[in-house]
Amino acid sequence: MQEFIEFGLGGIGIGMIYAAIALSLVLIWRGTRVLNYSQGGMAMFTTYVAWLVISHTGNYWLGFVLALASGLVLGAILERTVVRPTVGKSPLNSVIVTIGLLIFLEGLAGIIYGGQYRSFPAAYSIHGLKAGSFSLGISPNDLFTAVAVLAAALALALVFRYTTVGLRLRATAFDSGVARLLGIRIGRVLTLGWALAGLFGALAGVLVTPSTFLYPNSMDSIFVLGFTAAVIGGLDSPVGAVVGGVLLGVVLSYAGGYLGNDLVLVYGLVVLALVLMVRPSGLFSSATARRV
Amino acid sequence: MTEPATKVAALAVEDIVAGYGGGPVLDGVSISAQPSTITAVLGANGAGKTTLLRAISGFVRPRRGRVLVGGTDLARRRPEDIARAGVAHVPEGQGVITELTVEENLRIGALATRDRAGRTAALTDAYARFPVLAARRRRAAATLSGGERQILVIARALMAAPRVLLLDEPSLGLAPKMVAQVMDLIRQLRDESGLTVLLVEQNARSALGIADTGLVLNLGKVVAQDAAASLAGDEGLRRHYLGF
Repeated sequence: MQEFIEFGLGGIGIGMIYAAIALSLVLIWRGTRVLNYSQGGMAMFTTYVAWLVISHTGNYWLGFVLALASGLVLGAILERTVVRPTVGKSPLNSVIVTIGLLIFLEGLAGIIYGGQYRSFPAAYSIHGLKAGSFSLGISPNDLFTAVAVLAAALALALVFRYTTVGLRLRATAFDSGVARLLGIRIGRVLTLGWALAGLFGALAGVLVTPSTFLYPNSMDSIFVLGFTAAVIGGLDSPVGAVVGGVLLGVVLSYAGGYLGNDLVLVYGLVVLALVLMVRPSGLFSSATARRV
Repeated sequence: MTEPATKVAALAVEDIVAGYGGGPVLDGVSISAQPSTITAVLGANGAGKTTLLRAISGFVRPRRGRVLVGGTDLARRRPEDIARAGVAHVPEGQGVITELTVEENLRIGALATRDRAGRTAALTDAYARFPVLAARRRRAAATLSGGERQILVIARALMAAPRVLLLDEPSLGLAPKMVAQVMDLIRQLRDESGLTVLLVEQNARSALGIADTGLVLNLGKVVAQDAAASLAGDEGLRRHYLGF
C-alpha cells in the first residue's frame, strides 16, 4: 500500500517535468508545425546557465530566474536566426535544422563545461515527506516542482485566453494566412512562441536536473518522454500536454516500480502505442478536421 | 498601433504579371477603381480573378507591374504590410477561424491597425451594424451558418477601417436570399463608407446588379472593361464569358 502511494505521487512529480517539455513542444508545433528536436538541448543549456550563476553567486533563486530568462532569449534567438528560414519549406528542413541545433548545443556545452556529471541543487529539501510513519514518496522539492509547472501552465492559459497577445498567438496558430491578411506580423508572433517554449524548457531543466545530474546529454531521455507525453495528449493541445505528461509519469512510475526499472523507455513506447491505437491523433486532439 | 487612414483611396493596378511558377496566370492586367465604387471582376474559373486579388493583397508576388493604393506602390510588399496600408482582403472560402468565437474573430481584425480605444469603438460599430453577430458574439464561429460566416468575415475586414476592400466570391455556397442580403450589404458599404470595392464573382448577374464598373478576365487578360450596365446589356459578351 505504501508502495502504491509512493509510486503514484512520485509519478505525478516526474510527470510534471514531462508536462513542461510537452508544453514547449505543443507551443511550437501548434503555430508552425515544427517539431523542436532541440527542446531538450535548449533546456540543458539554460540549466548550465543557472549552474554558472549559482556556483559564482551562491544564490539559487538568481540562477533559477536567469535560467528562465535565458530560455526566453535563447528561444527567440534560435527562431529568428536558424528556424525562420525553414518556414514554408519542406518539413524535412525544420527536422534537419532542429536536430542539428541539438547536436550543436550539446557539443557547445561539452566544449564550454566539459562532459563530467555535475551536481545541481534543488530548491527545497529532497527528503521524502512522511504522514506520521507513513512515507509518501515525495519531497518538498517534488511539491514545488508540481506547483511551479502547474502555475506556469495556468499563467500561459490565462495569457492565451484573456490577453491581446494570446489572441494573436492563437489566431496565428489556427490560421496564419488569415492572420497575415489581417495585418498581424506573424514573424514576431512566432518568435514569441519559441521564446515561451524556451521558458518552459528552462523550467523543466532546472526542476529535473537535481535528480539527473548536469551533463551535456542530461535532458535527452527527458525529452523523449516529454515528446511521448505531447503525442499522447495530442500535439495540438496544451491541456493534453499536461494530462499526457502526468499520465505518462504515473504509468511509468507504476510499471517501473512493479515490473523493474530497466525497461522504462519500453513501457513508454507501449503506452504510446496503446493510446494511439485508440485515439490516433492523441487524447485531446479535436477529432474533426478543421472545417473551412 | 497606427490610427486608420480616414481618407479613402483609389486603387490602380498597372500591367500586372503574376503566377505560381510556370506560366503567368495574370498576363498584363490593368485596372483602375475610384473611391465609393464597386468594380466587379468577372470571368470563368481559372481566368485569374482570385490571383488578381492575391496579387493586390500580397499573397502572390507580381513579377512585373505596380499596385497603387492612394498613389503608393504596394506591389511586392509582405501581406501583413499591405493589410496595414489599408487593403482588406476577404478570401475565397471566407477564412473564418472556427476555433475562435465570433467576438474573437472580430477582434483580430483590428489588432494590427488600431489602438485599444479604436478597437473597442470598432467592435461597438460592428455589433450596431450587424445585430446577427451581436446575438452570437460569444459563440464559437464554427456554429455559424454559411451566410452568417460571410457577414462575419466582411465585418472582420471592416474592423481595420480599410480604404480598399477585396471580396472573393462572397456569394459562394449561399442560398439566393442570403446572396441578395450580402450584395445589399456590399452596396451599403460603398454608399456609406466610400470604400473602393473590388468584387470577384462567379455569379456575374448579382455582381453586375450592384457594381458601377465591371471587367472580364479571360486567360489572364482583360477582355472587356466598361460600366456595369453596358456589360450586362451586351448579350454576346454575357453568353460568351459570363454564362447568362
